[in-house]
Amino acid sequence: MARNLATTSSTIAVSVNTEQYKPQITVFHCFNAFNNITGSNSSDYNVHSIKMPCSSMTREVFLLRAFEAGADAVIVMVCPDGSCHYIEGNIRAIKRVARMKKLLDEIGLDGRRLNIFQIPHGDQSAVERIINQTVSDLAVLGPNPAT
Amino acid sequence: MIVGEQKPLAEIKEKVAPYSKLLILGCGTCVKTCFAGGEDEVAILASALRLAFKKDGGRIKIEELTIERQCEDEFIKEAALAIARNDAVLSLACGAGVQMVASRFAKAPVLPGVNTTFIGILEKQGLFTEKCLGCGNCILDVFEGICPISRCSKKLLNGPCGGSRNGKCEVNSDTDCAWQLIIDRSKALGQMDKLITYVPPKDWRTSQAGGPRKLVREDHVI
Repeated sequence: MARNLATTSSTIAVSVNTEQYKPQITVFHCFNAFNNITGSNSSDYNVHSIKMPCSSMTREVFLLRAFEAGADAVIVMVCPDGSCHYIEGNIRAIKRVARMKKLLDEIGLDGRRLNIFQIPHGDQSAVERIINQTVSDLAVLGPNPAT
Repeated sequence: MIVGEQKPLAEIKEKVAPYSKLLILGCGTCVKTCFAGGEDEVAILASALRLAFKKDGGRIKIEELTIERQCEDEFIKEAALAIARNDAVLSLACGAGVQMVASRFAKAPVLPGVNTTFIGILEKQGLFTEKCLGCGNCILDVFEGICPISRCSKKLLNGPCGGSRNGKCEVNSDTDCAWQLIIDRSKALGQMDKLITYVPPKDWRTSQAGGPRKLVREDHVI
């Protein structure tokens, strides 16, 4: 079961009004958590995935630049506790995401647009559930106001 | 090192709002080490400001540059062209760096982006603690390397006050009592006798109380 570590997002399921906009979701993921996000795009949303050799490569500026590049939501997917191949990469990623969520609130973009999840290795269904939940959340949050 | 922390985004945004072209100038020495003003912090702040202005329908063009040190003219020269291209400089250096850039470039508005906090050390990863006030007359030998000027809340020189409790300071229970540390270390070193000697009141003229200070090394003046 995937675990959201920094979520403040609503869990209310809301259908996406695709006439308004097509959500752009950027996913940063450790390739040890999973290695293939193909098939995640749909006619309702676009997913842009960025593989990292370890979630310790989740640098704050990359998260912000994803929003500058037009992402409506950014998701970081990391390995579960105790499973990081580099010991503490997932811990570092969790702390950095928490800090960037606060900064997004200060910017006025809403920190709920950025979330981090721990994914058991190879759990493709968890990935799909997270993306579907993010699409639902974006129906409430709306498009990135800085695009 | 000089320890500082970046100002809140809202304050920085307000300061830079009058300018359409901004140089964020980082410093690659002390404030880089304490995660306030190195390359990474310059990049994060630039991105955050662009997003914040764009969200409000405004626009700002931001150039990023980090030099080795902003407190030395030799390094500041590297920023001359970038400063000339922009309306203002947001310096992420300590207060010394901000003033050095301001004095070197008379026509450029130079804004501080960092609150300079103290002279300290990296105690452990992510934790910086104050260790020196720059009093101008170091007597750490008397106190076995633990400074009561910077680390005792009352700056006591002749023993602890009555507010030391279980090795902690009454002013802040998260703070170690400097005098407990001094006594523990003196005991461990067999140097308790040194603490019997009366330490006279400190002459604060060598500190900031004596006004802005200067250090001249004649052998280096050409």
